[in-house]
Amino acid sequence: MKEMRITVIVGQTGTTVPPVTPEAVSFARELETHTGGFVQAIVLGNDVVGFAHHLAETTGVDVTGIESTRLALYNGEVYRDTLIKFLETDGPAVICLPHMAFGFDLAPRLAVALHASCVTAAEAIRFSNGRVGFVRSMFNGKLKAEVTTLREKVVVTLMPGAWSRPARRPGSRKQSVRIVKPDVFPSASQTVGIRESDKDMLNFDDADVIVAAGRGIGNPLNIRLLKDLAAIFSKSGIGASRAVCDLGWLSYRHQIGITGQTVSPRLYIACGISGAMQHLAGMKESRTIVAINNDPHAAIFQVADYGIVENLETFIPILLSEFKRQ
Amino acid sequence: MKTLVCVKQVPDTEALLSIDPGGKWIAPQDAAAFRMNRFDEFALEEAMRIKERFSGRIDVSIDSVSVGPARVRPTLKESLARGADNGFHIRVEEAGYISPFDTATLIAAFAEKGGYDLILTGVMAEDDMACLVGSLIAEILGYPCATAVISQKIKAEERRIDVEREIEAGCRECLQLDLPAVLTIQSGINSPRYSSLSNVMRASRQKIPTISAEQLAARQKTEQVSALFYPEKRSGGKILEGTPREKAQVLLRELHGKALI
Repeated sequence: MKEMRITVIVGQTGTTVPPVTPEAVSFARELETHTGGFVQAIVLGNDVVGFAHHLAETTGVDVTGIESTRLALYNGEVYRDTLIKFLETDGPAVICLPHMAFGFDLAPRLAVALHASCVTAAEAIRFSNGRVGFVRSMFNGKLKAEVTTLREKVVVTLMPGAWSRPARRPGSRKQSVRIVKPDVFPSASQTVGIRESDKDMLNFDDADVIVAAGRGIGNPLNIRLLKDLAAIFSKSGIGASRAVCDLGWLSYRHQIGITGQTVSPRLYIACGISGAMQHLAGMKESRTIVAINNDPHAAIFQVADYGIVENLETFIPILLSEFKRQ
Repeated sequence: MKTLVCVKQVPDTEALLSIDPGGKWIAPQDAAAFRMNRFDEFALEEAMRIKERFSGRIDVSIDSVSVGPARVRPTLKESLARGADNGFHIRVEEAGYISPFDTATLIAAFAEKGGYDLILTGVMAEDDMACLVGSLIAEILGYPCATAVISQKIKAEERRIDVEREIEAGCRECLQLDLPAVLTIQSGINSPRYSSLSNVMRASRQKIPTISAEQLAARQKTEQVSALFYPEKRSGGKILEGTPREKAQVLLRELHGKALI
């Protein structure tokens, strides 16, 4: 039987190692302990030599760098067509990418081209009866599912923050670095540039406390309550889930989560926030998390240090009056 | 110009969800517990805006399609009430999990016959949160695709669409795609409107053709949900008990103890 080939795909952004790359290597190593085989990484970009060597030295995996000026900006079709030649092999394979804008865009493209199964936003590996299962969130994080794949090849995207970064493994064995410069052809779509969005972001760096609003606040008028709560702390700010910004209840400047800002204040008070991974990824490093939600099954309670199952419209005024009484 | 909007019916994620005794999907819900995937509302609204932009110049039709058992039909009615011209129901018999690959295979087979210039989906479904169906449709049909689209400018005469997709750190990737193309629409691109009374009236009368899944494409199992379970709580966290006043007192004491107030 052919060996399992586990490949970590890294889209280069500038010259720095994207933070999720070490996590993806951790995932690959964990998988390798179950399935055997070997781990390698492929880096794509315009100027990848230094980066490829750095990655090989810090993670101890063999690295292939694919270099072309046409790969400077991510384009799903171009990346797919370029990568496919390096991924088409006989035998079992797992191809992993971060569950970020480039990873979840590229994963299904690779899966169709390779006739592979595709699992997105994996958070853990489960291995039972000789089968690998991937654990992922469903229903806004209220439930988790174990997904098993039925094809020989699997493309999987990894939720940022789900795997820890591996300890440095320099020199554990000699890693090979190979740089290739293939012909890269244009496609029916072109990436023409990157633009800063119009959203200017609130600066949360100075905030010790963030009081954040989710759809569960029910009514934009309740933001007043959150502001009153924030006012009892000296350095505080108002955050929001994406849903609240989409509804126009607060501007996108307040958005916290994967597509907004990542924060880690001393205290995070989540009000009416359901706790989807997309939001948790942006705030779960907060020192202390308080969650107020009237849904006892809300996923936010899984990460909260203090969970309060109450209607915030009645609870916050009680909290404020108790604070004043002290 | 023909546009197709893929709408999914999902259980309300804010409602109480319990696991079926089989342990592989949620327990059957009351019909009222289902609604249109919110991300698809943004996709449908974007199609409406394209239609309005070309009004009087280019005729734009909007079809909606949904894959699922008979209970998804109200969601298709809802899409008509919101302004779609026609709804199509791709009927599968099972009420449980349908993999994104199966859904995409069926919609791609349907769309290929329809000759659509533009296919829109929401960026993800609220139930399985996979972010896959739109991209898979594009790959199966060989169309270019942009995901997480946060703005678009269609140039119908040039058979081209310019889009921006949301990436990390507050940035946007700018792409040009040849038509036909598939876009998966990010929430916040627009503000979905409510149904108009005239469309609600029309929707209540309009027939929604049913196409059986078997007629369209063979299903190929690529992955399956082998278990559904409740998440584990992070150790150390506690749910405060008592009256609201008692909870408030405990919380203030704890925050005071940590010198947070």
